[in-house]
Amino acid sequence: MRVSVSNLTFGYDYRTVLKDVSFEIEDGDFLVVVGNNGSGKSTLVKCLLGINPVPDGKVFLDNKEINQFENWIRIGYVPQKLDDFNYEFPITLNEIMHVSRYSKVTEEQKLALLDRMGILELQHENINTLSGGQLQRVFIARALINRPDLLILDEPTVGVDKENVEQFYNVVNGLNEDGVTIILISHHLSPGNANYTHIMQLREGRSFLRSASDLHAGGDSRHGV
Amino acid sequence: MEFEIASGFIRSVLEREFMQFAIITGVLVGLLAPMIGSFVVIKRLSLIADTLSHFSLAGLSIGLFFLNILGLPIQDPLYIGMLFAVIGALLIEALRSYYKNYKEISMPIVISLGTALSALFISLSGGFSTEIYNYLFGSILTVGRNFVYIISITTAVILLLILIFYRQIVIISFDESYARLLGIRVNLFQFFSTIILGIVISLAIETVGVLLVSSLMIIPVAAAMKIGRSFKSTLLIAILFSETSVLVGIYLSFILGWPSGATIVLFNLFILGGVVVFRRVFFKRRLEKKQQESQAI
Repeated sequence: MRVSVSNLTFGYDYRTVLKDVSFEIEDGDFLVVVGNNGSGKSTLVKCLLGINPVPDGKVFLDNKEINQFENWIRIGYVPQKLDDFNYEFPITLNEIMHVSRYSKVTEEQKLALLDRMGILELQHENINTLSGGQLQRVFIARALINRPDLLILDEPTVGVDKENVEQFYNVVNGLNEDGVTIILISHHLSPGNANYTHIMQLREGRSFLRSASDLHAGGDSRHGV
Repeated sequence: MEFEIASGFIRSVLEREFMQFAIITGVLVGLLAPMIGSFVVIKRLSLIADTLSHFSLAGLSIGLFFLNILGLPIQDPLYIGMLFAVIGALLIEALRSYYKNYKEISMPIVISLGTALSALFISLSGGFSTEIYNYLFGSILTVGRNFVYIISITTAVILLLILIFYRQIVIISFDESYARLLGIRVNLFQFFSTIILGIVISLAIETVGVLLVSSLMIIPVAAAMKIGRSFKSTLLIAILFSETSVLVGIYLSFILGWPSGATIVLFNLFILGGVVVFRRVFFKRRLEKKQQESQAI
């Protein structure tokens, strides 16, 4: 999915968080947004998801002005904090998938997705019994169940151990290779093994976009380890 | 001896209409209360049931005042109680969006208003009476045919709504912000679920009374969530616990002459206690077994 942001300025009350942010990514691109705490990363995500109201003509999703955009199930989202989910009450992975499914997805496709995430054998488990790494994969699977064209991941590897981080990047890189456009928000300036095409730094609300080919002039246009 | 008591109870149910009404009402409330209660517990709004029942009492007291003092032709104060439960629910929603970061403030504000109005109108209606006692502690054995019709229709409508909108209701309860992202009209759902909650609470008051109604909604769920492994199994276990409490409660209150509401709630708590003990013993044994297995290796 093509994403275009032009001269977006956004703030809460009297505080301006995003200042004149602009970037464009094409279908199948992999953008990593990096920045320190308070640089405006999560605010940008909320603008892209339509949670923060933005003025007309600033954000376009698939060439459609965001305020006219309706097909939200084409966008998958993995939140920064999984705390928004009301834990402790029993619910299985399968039940989460069932209630999150809002497009025509067959049972086979669902099972294939769980298998790809490495959580197929957990489908009947109560999610309260899962580890942090497993839970994270559950929420990525939830974001992917409607087969989105764009996947937005907000600091997904915070609090996840090294082994699971590696596995996570393998999955995300694989999804991108299959054509899913990725926007990955990262606190770290070197975002692990992400096979990104563009990297954008947010500094005090201002954006600095570079493509991977600029960073590695003469080499492959994709960054990877 | 026990057999004679039990057969006496069954004969009484078969012969006396009021016993049949009590059983039907009990079974329907026993189904509705934990079902709605589950969604309330997931959203961490357990106190809302208490708040709304107190606000509903204000409506019931005003109804009694209209009926007994002003002599207005009101069929049953229950309708005003229902109306107040819904108003209270909407008031809570309004206050929750007004105090975005301190949402729980809405509960004590609404409960204070409800209790103050209740005290005022109970006093204006001539003070404490049998009717007030029944509102406070329930009177399942005195429900009439009309009430049975109302609760039957309400149960059918609510079950149908839950079946149709099951996925939306579950996802809103577990993760409101994700539901918004899926394009679900969360505010509209909240509005209607709040009204349904108000109606269920005001109907459940007839069974166990204002002071115990929240226990009917919350305790079976609190017990079930410690045993259930999935959402559906937890819901079914909660309904099973609730129905057992209602039926055993009515039976015990019949043979012992205890107040029905209190008996139902006490049996509910007895089940919760049983679940806590069972889990402790069961998990301790499992842990010991695992330790023995690891030592053997």
